[in-house]
Amino acid sequence: MMNLFSHLPLNTFANKAILFCAISLGAVGQTLAQMDHSSHMMAGMTKPSACEGAGLECANAATPFLTPDGKLYLTWTGGGAVSVAQSSDLGKTFSTPIRIAEHGKSLDTGGDARPQIVVKDEHIFVTYAFFKDTHWNAQINKVYSDDGGKTFSAPVSIVKDSSSQRFPSMLLEPNGNIFLSWIDKRVVAASKNTPNEMLGGSIAYSFSGDGGVHFSPEKIANKDSCECCRIGSSLDSKGGLAFVYRAIFPGGIRDHASQYIDGNKKLGPIERVSLDDWRSDVCPHQGPTIAISDAGTFHVAWFTLAAKRQGVFYANSHNQGASYSEPERVGHADGNVSRPYLLAIGSNVWLVWKEFDGTKTTVNMKVSQDDGNTWTESKVLAETSAYSDHPLLIRVNKEVYLSWLTRDEGYRLTKIGVAQ
Amino acid sequence: MKKSLFIFGIFCTIVFSNLAFAQAVTLKPYQKGDWASLTKSANGQPLAIHIWGVTCAPCMKEMPKWGKFLTKNKSDRVIFLQVDDVPVSVIEKMLVRANLAQANNYYLATSFDEYLRYEIDPKWRGETPITILIDRSDKVERVVGPIDFSDLKKWFNR
Repeated sequence: MMNLFSHLPLNTFANKAILFCAISLGAVGQTLAQMDHSSHMMAGMTKPSACEGAGLECANAATPFLTPDGKLYLTWTGGGAVSVAQSSDLGKTFSTPIRIAEHGKSLDTGGDARPQIVVKDEHIFVTYAFFKDTHWNAQINKVYSDDGGKTFSAPVSIVKDSSSQRFPSMLLEPNGNIFLSWIDKRVVAASKNTPNEMLGGSIAYSFSGDGGVHFSPEKIANKDSCECCRIGSSLDSKGGLAFVYRAIFPGGIRDHASQYIDGNKKLGPIERVSLDDWRSDVCPHQGPTIAISDAGTFHVAWFTLAAKRQGVFYANSHNQGASYSEPERVGHADGNVSRPYLLAIGSNVWLVWKEFDGTKTTVNMKVSQDDGNTWTESKVLAETSAYSDHPLLIRVNKEVYLSWLTRDEGYRLTKIGVAQ
Repeated sequence: MKKSLFIFGIFCTIVFSNLAFAQAVTLKPYQKGDWASLTKSANGQPLAIHIWGVTCAPCMKEMPKWGKFLTKNKSDRVIFLQVDDVPVSVIEKMLVRANLAQANNYYLATSFDEYLRYEIDPKWRGETPITILIDRSDKVERVVGPIDFSDLKKWFNR
């Protein structure tokens, strides 16, 4: 330290004061470092032996993709990394995982966050979000492989805007185009310190015709949305698609909305799924789900804590969201019900969700074979007694599989039905 | 001379801001099984337990208001529990910014899963912010979303 300040003349009060402050700064910095260290030590001393590795056994969220020939690709977040592995036997065994991105504690592992993956031939395309600064502004990155997963590109940002983006949701169209939607903060950021300062985020989307190399243009579908819930999306049989999300309606009401994009990429109006009247600036970390049958029926399920109803509900629409059926409760009214997920093939619809009774978590299922008019009784598909990810549904041709990651049982891909 | 004074000013600003940060933050780990001991500390007095997350925008907006509330109402007992999986240093910064560095602060040192939430409130699905109010007779109320601080003051005075 003497050498560092030896060039300063110490014959004035100010310079002596500088030296004093500098020494103090060093001492305080040391104190601060010790304190930070002790904070972490305190956590380490009492923290249980948490699962913190990057392997699938410690993952918090795993997202599958099944190719038409039945090959399973899985991406997950765990230990601050995003990893990818492949399976040729429907998840019984996996290839050696490849870590395609590492962000430590900055990786977005929130309750509704999960990496996304689509695969077309040898092209594997993955997106995920991480927090890029201390103000919790996020960035959506893409990573891809053109050699079937032998090598991957370096992670780079997808979205051109620099404000904040989270919760990517992807669909692979039959022609190979990729549809990407996400929660975007550019409109909200621009409103800061103006008379019309906004809350929440916006729903943004874009298409890529070159396997994710370029997404253009970036469009805002709804400038008023919740900023902490995933978007649900589904293709229809006519070349269009729909997505559902927690919107912010006038008066700060955070109810769910759907929007349709037709085969010519024309965006439809914002359609309200239900009049729940959820008037609260709360982050539920529980986004909705949508599946579209061959007849074009929108099947939607969502979580709400609104004045009118609380829990998980289901409704459908036969007119691209212009009107929805009366919401029907999913699961037990007095149960801890969460994380609904829908899948439709033809006029068959599968609905799964989680229920927790204080001891164990179950994945429950109902099936409709007449486009949502009637449903089977609820059936328990799987259970666990420790941490579990959201239940997801995927298909190969007419076969439907439940994808579920649990801490105790590991990753499970279970065949649960065949379309009639 | 002016330049030296300017440098002196910058140094001292850094020193004292670091000093304030270093001295102020109290933050304890919380894990499954801790809820009973946490609520036991109510001991017949009104206790508010505010659950928040650093990545939850409504929470971040509200925390400085909690700081102001406690500055005005020093005798009201509030516990803060941060539930996002983020570095401790980030939580500390937020608490300093919200003037809550010396409040009764906890952070989650275990999975934010159904088991943890059920122990706190069987009806809680993980939404944040949420405030659990325990009154003198151990009656528990749940306030989901940002709280009305005038209502909170009335509740403490009940």
